[in-house]
Amino acid sequence: MSEAQGHAVARSAEGASPCCAAPLELRGVRKLFFPGTANEVVALDGIDLEVPAGQFVSIIGSNGSGKSTLLNAVAGTFPVTAGRIVLGGRDVTRLPDYVRSRSIGRVFQDPRAGTAPDMTIEENLAISLMRTKRSGLRMGVTNKRRAVMREQLARLGMGLEDRLKAGVSKLSGGQRQAMSLLMATIVQPSLLLLDEHTAALDPKVAATIMELTGEIVTERGLTTLMVTHNMELALRYGDRLLMMHAGRVVLDLDHEQKAALQVSDLIEKFHEVAGEAFAVDRMLLDP
Amino acid sequence: MQVIIHSALLQGLVYAFMVLGVFITFRVLDFPDLSVDGSLPLGAAVTAAMIAGGQSPLLATLTGVGAGLCAGFVTGFLHLLLKGDDSDATNYGPKLLAGILTMTALYTVNLRIMGRSNVPLLGVDVVFDKIGALFSVSMSGWNLIIGLAALALVIKYLLDWLLHTEFGLCLQATGDNEGMIRAMGTNTNVTRIVGLGIANALVALSGSLVAQQQGFADVGMGIGTIVAGLAGVIMGEVLFGVRSVSWVLFSVIGGSIVYRLLIAVSLRLGIAPTDLKLLTAVLVVVALSVPTVRKKVMHS
Repeated sequence: MSEAQGHAVARSAEGASPCCAAPLELRGVRKLFFPGTANEVVALDGIDLEVPAGQFVSIIGSNGSGKSTLLNAVAGTFPVTAGRIVLGGRDVTRLPDYVRSRSIGRVFQDPRAGTAPDMTIEENLAISLMRTKRSGLRMGVTNKRRAVMREQLARLGMGLEDRLKAGVSKLSGGQRQAMSLLMATIVQPSLLLLDEHTAALDPKVAATIMELTGEIVTERGLTTLMVTHNMELALRYGDRLLMMHAGRVVLDLDHEQKAALQVSDLIEKFHEVAGEAFAVDRMLLDP
Repeated sequence: MQVIIHSALLQGLVYAFMVLGVFITFRVLDFPDLSVDGSLPLGAAVTAAMIAGGQSPLLATLTGVGAGLCAGFVTGFLHLLLKGDDSDATNYGPKLLAGILTMTALYTVNLRIMGRSNVPLLGVDVVFDKIGALFSVSMSGWNLIIGLAALALVIKYLLDWLLHTEFGLCLQATGDNEGMIRAMGTNTNVTRIVGLGIANALVALSGSLVAQQQGFADVGMGIGTIVAGLAGVIMGEVLFGVRSVSWVLFSVIGGSIVYRLLIAVSLRLGIAPTDLKLLTAVLVVVALSVPTVRKKVMHS
């Protein structure tokens, strides 16, 4: 069975019509931390951004530039101070995180963040298959769901499809991150948010996970925002590149502009736009 | 010897529901819920007051369980109020405070329900007599133990089923990795409140049964419930293992019985009943520190 058909099974097995990739729009999004105190920080300083459906956007920037805050604002981790967030034509600005989660898939930097360690592989995946539905008193793990899980796990090439009853805490960081990625996308999300999801892995595993990410995103045409420290990754993956600094988008390159660039050009660009010293070593050394 | 075993089984089984409740809060939800010190006597108070008032013992027991359910909901709502926007699942402050507030408030509630500090249930039919009459057996001695064991089995399998439903998986994940389950579209405020309700309903069931078994409800009978419950959970886990959720539910029922066996033996050895709480606390400290000490020894 081809991959595409595999996903079709995942959908029909759940009966939930997966929303297709959706466009994302941010209008004047601002986020202040500790407003009105001496510690006030402007984390997002008026972000205007239009991401068409199916676009894969890489976001780079130094520490504290606001790139992770941007993802958290879209995911609803905290309310924004001002502005509007529209996903697939629906204003989600005031929706709580768990409601947005039904249409947003997320993978975090910490491989432990995306899975429940004391539960089994099949229990974790069953939860991800229930994403768009209200959970009821039906059995969580069913044979129908197991079939979908086995097929989806097989594509990771890690042999996890034969270990459905193993506890997730027994898996390696790479295996857990691969599972997180699978869980975030097994029911098609309208939007996929990747927050430095390969940064905590060793280089070889990071490359595998990144390759897998590229495959899944392209194959399924997911609207994706990927935050990374790694300029090379940002250049290699994605249709568009954003550079953030001090809570603003300071550089926005489309596919062609991006294809013409080297890492060194990007560093130069940054100096031009930001006009101040940049943590070059950090950006280059990070996997 | 037979007296000790009989007493340990009886006590262990009536308190097993409480231990299961503590297991759900402590282990499944990762919520150290102190309100159980209030919901155990709440179950007892409601049941005793209703039976003394001439109501059917079965209805009185169920109402006691319902009262426990509500007490759990209250703790859940208080936690929601106290934690505010804080999304850190490992911040136990609001969880502990919510339980303490409910427990303290319940002391007054229990006194109000009973109208005094102690309600005797002597010479009246309790739920065991009613059930016994249904099967035309006398619910005393070993019959009572078999009846309680059957109830414990039923509750065990109900919990086992519930924890493996879609809702149950979300409940487990709420305690295991709250960030993950929220990112999967589940409102953990709801799962947590429902979980606390179920746990406190179980604790109240124990309270109700204890009152009917010992023949009175007392406002002070809940003191130390949380520590006794924890002792049962830990002993069960250590002695019988934690290989799966289904298995660990058996383990904690076993832990409840072993704990009461230790109590019965201590009493037989001449330890004063008033010293038991200290003994229990020491027991829990020892059991909890075993893994830490073992690790230290291994690494030194």
